[in-house]
Amino acid sequence: MWLGYVTYERKHIDPLSFNSQVNLARIAGMTPPILLRVSNFKAYVWDVDDINILRSHHHICGILTGTLPHLSSQNIFLGLPLQLMPEEAVLLLENGIAVLVDDPSAHHIPSPSALKLWKEARLDDARQQIALTEEKGSIEASNPDRAMSENAKRKRKEREERRARAKADTAPSVTAEDSPSPHPTSENPSQPAIGEPPDSAIVMPSKSYTVNIPASSSNLEWYAPHSHASLTIAREAGIWLYPSTLQERARCGVFRDLWEKGYYMGGGIKFGGEYLVYPGDPLRYHSHFVASVIEAPDAALRPMEIVAHGRLGTGTKKAHLLCEWNDETQVVSYLSVEWAGFG
Amino acid sequence: MRIHCTKRSRNIGTVRPVIPKRGEKDFEPAPGGGSGLQVHVLDRARAAMFDALKADRAISSKSASYGIWCPQISRVHVTVARGIHFSVMGHSAARPTSIDNGPTKLQKRLELLPEEALYLIERGALFCWKDIQVDLTGLDDIEGAPMSVQQAFAEIIGKEDLTLEKYQVFAYLRRLGYVVTRTDPPSPSYPVPPPRLGSDGAPLSFCRRLLSIFSLFTTSVLRFWRGSFNWWRPLRISRWIHHDKSYGKVLKSLRVITAGHSVTPHSSRATPVAPSSPYKIFYNMYKPSTNFRKTAPPQPDFQIVVINARTAFVPSLYELTELFNVLPEIPPPLPRKRGAPPVVQSSPAAVVSPVHTSTFRHLFSWLLPSSTSQPISSQPRPHPFAALKAGKKNIVIAAVDSGNISFFRFSQGAFEEWPTL
Repeated sequence: MWLGYVTYERKHIDPLSFNSQVNLARIAGMTPPILLRVSNFKAYVWDVDDINILRSHHHICGILTGTLPHLSSQNIFLGLPLQLMPEEAVLLLENGIAVLVDDPSAHHIPSPSALKLWKEARLDDARQQIALTEEKGSIEASNPDRAMSENAKRKRKEREERRARAKADTAPSVTAEDSPSPHPTSENPSQPAIGEPPDSAIVMPSKSYTVNIPASSSNLEWYAPHSHASLTIAREAGIWLYPSTLQERARCGVFRDLWEKGYYMGGGIKFGGEYLVYPGDPLRYHSHFVASVIEAPDAALRPMEIVAHGRLGTGTKKAHLLCEWNDETQVVSYLSVEWAGFG
Repeated sequence: MRIHCTKRSRNIGTVRPVIPKRGEKDFEPAPGGGSGLQVHVLDRARAAMFDALKADRAISSKSASYGIWCPQISRVHVTVARGIHFSVMGHSAARPTSIDNGPTKLQKRLELLPEEALYLIERGALFCWKDIQVDLTGLDDIEGAPMSVQQAFAEIIGKEDLTLEKYQVFAYLRRLGYVVTRTDPPSPSYPVPPPRLGSDGAPLSFCRRLLSIFSLFTTSVLRFWRGSFNWWRPLRISRWIHHDKSYGKVLKSLRVITAGHSVTPHSSRATPVAPSSPYKIFYNMYKPSTNFRKTAPPQPDFQIVVINARTAFVPSLYELTELFNVLPEIPPPLPRKRGAPPVVQSSPAAVVSPVHTSTFRHLFSWLLPSSTSQPISSQPRPHPFAALKAGKKNIVIAAVDSGNISFFRFSQGAFEEWPTL
């Protein structure tokens, strides 16, 4: 025999979890539930602090899926939103850590007065920014001796001169500091001013400022989330259906059981299983197991699968974990497969 | 209002996020939740990660584009287009526009598909308003309700066949610089590549026939001249006596089990592929080096199927056959020349088919038994194993499991065309 399998039941996988469980319950009781924004039956987290709480206190990782602003040509590290696996969302909901929010209907139509307020805030912000830049520019101009060496000073002077020249070339007319130019913005050449400016006080300044595209809607005045606190309520509202089949129930059951043992879980599709099981935060620790879910005790398992799982798991320095869900007793039993490698 | 109360730390130049560096991972935390050092390192790693996530989406007002999201038609109408993104995204569409509340007239305008709009919003290149039925007089440059990225995610995904999985694949590839377009035009005004010409047209087959006559003729003449007998070709088939015979045809008629991809796989059902099958080509993809013109897109470099890995099964033979039926044949990969710069591949139509080339070379080997003075043929002969591995037709399948994207390439190898004798 050139290959053999060690199979054994793992009764107690991790002893570290009990204490942290108690802690979790305390924290969950204290803080208001986290809002999971649901659209198209997918759950997202949009608040960085919420992501922190989920990760640090509840060891729920999710997966970042958005484009990171200013670092938008790479796929190594992505940004908001955090997309949760459906199992994670179900677990958070059932434990009262989070509630579901139907996101498309939470964005109401803003009233004209709300829009006006928003516009004024934006205008204020732009003016402040321009003032800040000018202030900063003047501070630097009045205090040029901060530079350390003669060489640096000389270089700085050259740079400033160049900048001044460029400025004079491009914008010779900008002289008025306090009042923004009275004509409407030049940023809209294709559209000849929608409606004449009624009161010329509200006009965007023509100088360059920063436009912010808000990531989260929480600060918008017309965003009014309505939370669904349980799976049944969410299902009746038609925003969340998971778990609806035996396979999905099995996945939720296995996920919950591993989570209660204190593990962190990630998606395991690249390793031929349902989850990767980490002993600590995936940021710092390698995963020990690839878990695959078997939905019923009498579900067929082909020997080829065991060979493939054993081979792949060993090749990636992980043990494969077969997690068998019993839907009647709601109990998970585990079986790990390793390549024994005798001779 | 709290919209812009975010940290305005230094000046209008925003804080650029940095990708957190990750050191070597540990095997497992020490008992009791990790040692002091482990906890410290983990906290720092987390803090770096959250700092990067907190970065603002800030653009200079001089480079911002603006658009209006119209949910009824699932398009974003671009009112101000700035930047290079619009050279590969967006198409013009004629929409009825009322002029000064008067008569409506069809006017061309720049529109973005849902995925294109969402990608630009996410990148921080497009500021998007939502088209709302509210009187906006007195709010001059406000063209609707300002949309956050969150709102864009909630409302734009799900429109015009765009699922989250499809968007994630789109964004993933766009971030890497690939140009991605839809395969099926969502509206008549959407530009698509011109229809492909039939791969074996009349001229090629005629050419091939001519060549075969020539080769048969020369081989018989040469055989006579060299006075040898080829044990591999015991039959003397004369083109002029046996009207339609050749070795290939004789062998083919002897073949009991048909081979090759021209034979459709047998199925007991009339339609072996269910109409609900997820295996439909969704995106065309172009390499970043392609000279892409969005008004007249060329034939795509790859075509992509996007599936949800949680609900879809591995494609059946029927599904793959159906996919390959609409795909073009690609030329076999050329052997890599040592020391020479890589050969720029010409367009598929210009490349001689493998059978063609092999006959040609075959001919020369007969003519000139000493292979040293072989004339350099225009195309180097492709290696059969490389060609088998690359296949004649290719499809990329992107399997997305809640945010995890894996790309698979399925190709159709043609074993019957590369005899290994």
